[in-house]
Amino acid sequence: MTLQHRARNKRNGGKYALVAPATLMILCIALFPLLYAIVVSFQNIDARTPVGAFVGFKNYFDALRDARFWNALGNTALIVAVCVTAELVLGFILAQTLVSHLPGKRFITPLLILPVVIAPLIVGYTWRMLWDTQYGPINQVLGWITGRPVEIVWLANPVKVWPAIFITEVWQWTPFMFLVLLAGLAAINPEYREAAEIDGASSWQVLRFVTLPLVWPVMAVAILFRALDAFKVFDIVFALTNGGPGTMTETVSLYAYSVGFRNFRISYMAALTLILIAIVSVAITVLWRRMSANQERRA
Amino acid sequence: MNAMKRRFAIAIFGAITIVAAACAVPPAAPPPAAEATRPADPVGKIEGQAEQVAAAAVMTAMPPKPGGSAARAIELAKKYAGVTLNVTWEAGLQSQDPLLFSAPEFERLTGVKINVIETPFTELFSKAVADHQAGGGAYDVLNFAPTWLADLADGGVLEPLDAYIEQHMDKNDLSDLHPTYAKYQQWKGKTYGLWDDGDVFVMYYRRDWFEDAKNKGDFKAKYNRELAPPKTWQEWDEVCSFFTERGKANNEYGCAIQRTAGNTYLWFYEQFRSNGGRFFDADMKAAINSDIGVKTLTDMVNANKHMPPGIEKWGFVEVLQAWMDGKLGMIITWPPIGRWSEGYGLESKQLEWVPKTNVAGKVGYAVSPGGHSELAVGFMLGVSSNSKNKEAAYAFIQWLTSPEVSGQRVKIPFALRDPYRMSHFNDPEYAKLWPNASEYLKVLQEGAATGLADLGIPGAREYEEALDRAITAAYAGTDPKAALDKAAEEWNAITERIGVESQKAAYADWQKRLGANAYP
Repeated sequence: MTLQHRARNKRNGGKYALVAPATLMILCIALFPLLYAIVVSFQNIDARTPVGAFVGFKNYFDALRDARFWNALGNTALIVAVCVTAELVLGFILAQTLVSHLPGKRFITPLLILPVVIAPLIVGYTWRMLWDTQYGPINQVLGWITGRPVEIVWLANPVKVWPAIFITEVWQWTPFMFLVLLAGLAAINPEYREAAEIDGASSWQVLRFVTLPLVWPVMAVAILFRALDAFKVFDIVFALTNGGPGTMTETVSLYAYSVGFRNFRISYMAALTLILIAIVSVAITVLWRRMSANQERRA
Repeated sequence: MNAMKRRFAIAIFGAITIVAAACAVPPAAPPPAAEATRPADPVGKIEGQAEQVAAAAVMTAMPPKPGGSAARAIELAKKYAGVTLNVTWEAGLQSQDPLLFSAPEFERLTGVKINVIETPFTELFSKAVADHQAGGGAYDVLNFAPTWLADLADGGVLEPLDAYIEQHMDKNDLSDLHPTYAKYQQWKGKTYGLWDDGDVFVMYYRRDWFEDAKNKGDFKAKYNRELAPPKTWQEWDEVCSFFTERGKANNEYGCAIQRTAGNTYLWFYEQFRSNGGRFFDADMKAAINSDIGVKTLTDMVNANKHMPPGIEKWGFVEVLQAWMDGKLGMIITWPPIGRWSEGYGLESKQLEWVPKTNVAGKVGYAVSPGGHSELAVGFMLGVSSNSKNKEAAYAFIQWLTSPEVSGQRVKIPFALRDPYRMSHFNDPEYAKLWPNASEYLKVLQEGAATGLADLGIPGAREYEEALDRAITAAYAGTDPKAALDKAAEEWNAITERIGVESQKAAYADWQKRLGANAYP
């Protein structure tokens, strides 16, 4: 072995030593529990059976036949689709507005970020009061506008409950999208836009053919992060409706919580969440491929 | 392209890792140190009227009756002076009893320290089970709802208490328990808990509204009978709608019952059985979707029309606020509201969140329409099978539930423990706490005697939650029959999962033990 080789090995050894703690931590907090969850999902552990017996794929078959699980999955998908889209659009509009030198920008930007730093559970309980039928400010404001008492039961009506959830969720998480997109837009060299404008491009054309392609890599990551986060939505729905009325707004996380930590069907919960991981992984793969393909086409 | 593949692979691995960490792994129950634990505050911190009551309780606690359960528990616990017992208790107001009175007093008498672990109500069950399944020992004394007893006993979470009772309790104290509550303490022939809270629904009504001459005349003209506290659910609806029509313009309503998800099944349990309903048929198939069940739920949905707008989201606090404000004619709820209605203890710091009463001296009490009140929830105390200090833990719960100490605790305004011993119902001191306190005690005792026990078989929580979801769905417009059919399906699935034969036996045992308190 040459001296060069030894020096390289030494350098590599140093690299491994540096990443070892992080790798070990990831293995401990993610991989081991994941493997353990897989083992548990093939057993029948519940409140009455602390030491579970092997039951094969029973929990998986039960989960696939569980109408409540599919209902929760549908509700979750609806929240992801509506809220992430709304947050993206609103966040982009805000970012686009504030990326230029707007008067009061230094004051407005921190204000816009405030919702994202509040704990989602607090946001949920606060908005629950806002949506209250009798004493909630939202009905009061609607009453002032319409000129007659408004007694909309927002959180116990199967139709009206959805706008309440969407608005609350969008209110909290639009600032995240705004912040990421603001950074993306600020990083675009203004000369690109100026060149397009000199060539006679309209504002729409600049946006469509210059700004969006350039900000897309950042936007794609923001969408991915928010979609993953929205898929786990728990706190806000828990505080607003607790999945009700009935199971009309129950999300997958709420259902898993109910199965696992209220009814203590640990093995069944493990099976549910592993199915969920499989579904999310497929969805993310497809999403990422499409986004990557778009980026390559644009490049 | 390779770089793209690499990025893609990293992204997928990252996504799986994030989701796995977030979703797949049941997070371990936090250790007790991470809970909202607080050291026991000295009794001296109690302020106002509560201070006087608690101080009086401490004074009269000494000396306990020689040879009585309290005295024997103190002697037993002295052997463990210096030991700390971890005790779960419902977070918030409920915990003020052990924090401000019971724990400091027990420590003073025995040298045993009590670490009160405040826990949200629904987690009292899950944390106890999680601790046991993890090999535990985090808790010594467990606070739990009586309907969980079967699951906790079958799961091995609770320690049987018969040997301790035999050795250390004054047996006369068992006969001092109200006969209804005494029925609950056993499961499969063994005692797993000591009763600690006589929860029962009470119908509170505005006597002044019922005695108002104009109201009486108008009601008689409309319904051709006297205006009186309702004895049937139909009468309840009529009286409620009468008062609502009369007062709605002033934001006054005839009645309100909390309808938000979580506890609304309790009012169904009550009304359903008063109407003659049964939970299961002879084959252990759910019968909640019977004609009686559908009628009950339909009536409940219709009754909402006479209650305040948005009642579907009203919980305990919303009902309390409107009632204390004087805006409601009738409510059906737990006993503390009766005491607070008269202003008892509202001067204390612990109850400063309770709205000021506008109804003191105007409230009457009755058992629920149908003649049977739900013995809704309640509390028992047990010893964790994983405790390292079982005898000391038992000594603590025997002392807490002894006639002398429990008699003091049910009079502490913020303790939220309601009378459950004959000595509580017949306590002359209690009867003097406000002008019609004796009437209140009489109704609580009648409620206990004729009350209906919550369904207490394995899987009770799951049955309750399935029914609760069906009821809230019906409030939101789902056809009551369809909602109950779905709940019945879920009930049957729960029964099959736990075991039809074992559930049949448990249900038979529950009916036999509770007798007329299971079905009237």
